[in-house]
Amino acid sequence: MTKRILVVEDTEDNRQIIRDLLTSVGYELIEAVDGEKGVAMAQAHRPDLILMDIQLPVVDGYEATRQIRAVPELARVPIIAVTSYALSGDEAKARAAGCDGYVAKPFSPRQLLAKVREFLP
Amino acid sequence: MTALNTLLVGPVARLPARVQTKLLAAFLAIVALLIALGAVGLYVLNGVNQRTEELIRSERKIAAYRQVQHDTTSQLYSISSALVVSDEPTLDSALRQLNQFGYDLERLQFVAKDEIKLLGKVRKEYDRFIAVVTRVVALIRSGHVAAAREAQLKEAQPLASRLERLTNELVNRAEADVVAGIEASGEAYRTSQTIFIAFALGAIALALVLGRTISLSLIGPIREIGARLDEIASGNFTRRVSISNRDELGALATNINRTSEQLRRLYRELETASQHKSAFLANMSHELRTPLNAVLGYAELLVDGVYGELPERPKGVLERIQNNGRHLLALINDVLDLAKIEAGQLTLAVEDYDVPDLVRSVVTATEPLAIAKGLKFTALVEADMPTAHGDARRVSQVLMNLVGNAVKFTDRGEVEVRATATGGHIVLSVRDTGPGIAAADQERIFGEFQQIEAPNTRKRGGTGLGLAISRRMVEMQGGTISVESAPGRGATFRVVLPIRVEPALEEAA
Repeated sequence: MTKRILVVEDTEDNRQIIRDLLTSVGYELIEAVDGEKGVAMAQAHRPDLILMDIQLPVVDGYEATRQIRAVPELARVPIIAVTSYALSGDEAKARAAGCDGYVAKPFSPRQLLAKVREFLP
Repeated sequence: MTALNTLLVGPVARLPARVQTKLLAAFLAIVALLIALGAVGLYVLNGVNQRTEELIRSERKIAAYRQVQHDTTSQLYSISSALVVSDEPTLDSALRQLNQFGYDLERLQFVAKDEIKLLGKVRKEYDRFIAVVTRVVALIRSGHVAAAREAQLKEAQPLASRLERLTNELVNRAEADVVAGIEASGEAYRTSQTIFIAFALGAIALALVLGRTISLSLIGPIREIGARLDEIASGNFTRRVSISNRDELGALATNINRTSEQLRRLYRELETASQHKSAFLANMSHELRTPLNAVLGYAELLVDGVYGELPERPKGVLERIQNNGRHLLALINDVLDLAKIEAGQLTLAVEDYDVPDLVRSVVTATEPLAIAKGLKFTALVEADMPTAHGDARRVSQVLMNLVGNAVKFTDRGEVEVRATATGGHIVLSVRDTGPGIAAADQERIFGEFQQIEAPNTRKRGGTGLGLAISRRMVEMQGGTISVESAPGRGATFRVVLPIRVEPALEEAA
């Protein structure tokens, strides 16, 4: 069965790159442009993995992650945080919010794919 | 002296006169005191001189009176002899004595002007005495010796006694005068001495007070101005020179205050401008990175054949686009870091970290590059390293930069990373067998955009900002970074960091 990945990302180009990268290796992609929509999409579509940008409009990535974790059915879904620039402490904050993995921007598509494959072999 | 200072120095400082005028006035005052002192001295000397002269005059007077007494006695004696002997030579001698007596009286007149009345009496007695004596001599000559003896006894003797009494009176009076004169002279001398000493002491004290007042009214403000200038030189523009002088020093203080105020304003403007610039740069760097990341992302997808396999030539071009894009990204990242450091936005994230872990992660990231270049790569970490406390990510960034440089610039030989702990410090060193750095360039390479001039610099790549950023990051944590090298002998970069970065340093950064 095709694995479904939710991308929560406000930049069109980043969504496009992730979409092109991940669909080319056979994942199914669903997308949200802000934190609030991301939480709604997660609840509606039950993805197998979530790529969560941190700097998001409306509700930021940390808050969106906390809200998703509050939903019992989504408590175990892997969430990978993607943050704009690697500030010290971001990773710790992401993990505290409930993320399982962490990718620092600027990411190379190869790095991102490697990270995704850690959770979805 | 302190009360005197506050009483005098302030008002002298506030005098609306030039320093030159004040100094001149002080000197003139001292000169005037000296002249006055000299005048007092002369006056005292003159008084002493006059008294001495008076004493001498009195002594001469006394001598003259005594002479008169003596002559009177001699006269009586010679007349008595004449009465006994009655020869011509003795009579001549008696008459000569009489002349001598007259001469003495002339002298008396000259000496004792102030005792005219008494002298008048003496003279009258003397005239009578002379008349009697002349008569006695005449009587002897004419052979009336008995009559002569009669006249001698009845007239000459009493006259001589009276004359003696009178001259005695004169002598006594003169002697009393001399005693009184000596006493008065001694008294006058003591008074003069007291006046002179008091005047001299007063003059010295006044000169000292004047000198001290003038110099304090000048030195105080100069010290104050010096202290303020020191502060201004070290960048503190908050305090003002506050002195009460209304002379050149006052004008100088006003000028310094104006300059300080102007400097403070300029400094603030400059600081604001610099912060704006840095903030702008930081924002721009962030804005630049977003599209550049997209460019690099798409290029990688293309190269990786996500959009289908590409022919060799376009693929080569794409790789060049990627390389240039990565270089541009590195530049932007470094500029962002520098801008943040300059804007004071780069804060340290201090935490406990394990030095061996940190070295291992850097080695893991850089080792493949070294091996690809055929270099020997070693990492030596001292056993039992204490847990360090600092910004691990920045330390890691610095070490990564140093190891990256070493691998980049070394074509043959080895790169060695070493971590030790000594005396409260961690020492991280990176040694390579690369081309080395000339002594003249060793300080320069830590500046911004300073790669050393070498024919192969271009092909080495890099932004020229790595060492500048590394130095800032090390210094922010209270550490130092240095290099030891010689051309052709490789280079050793050494970072020394406190094992525990103090909170004060974090705040300062």
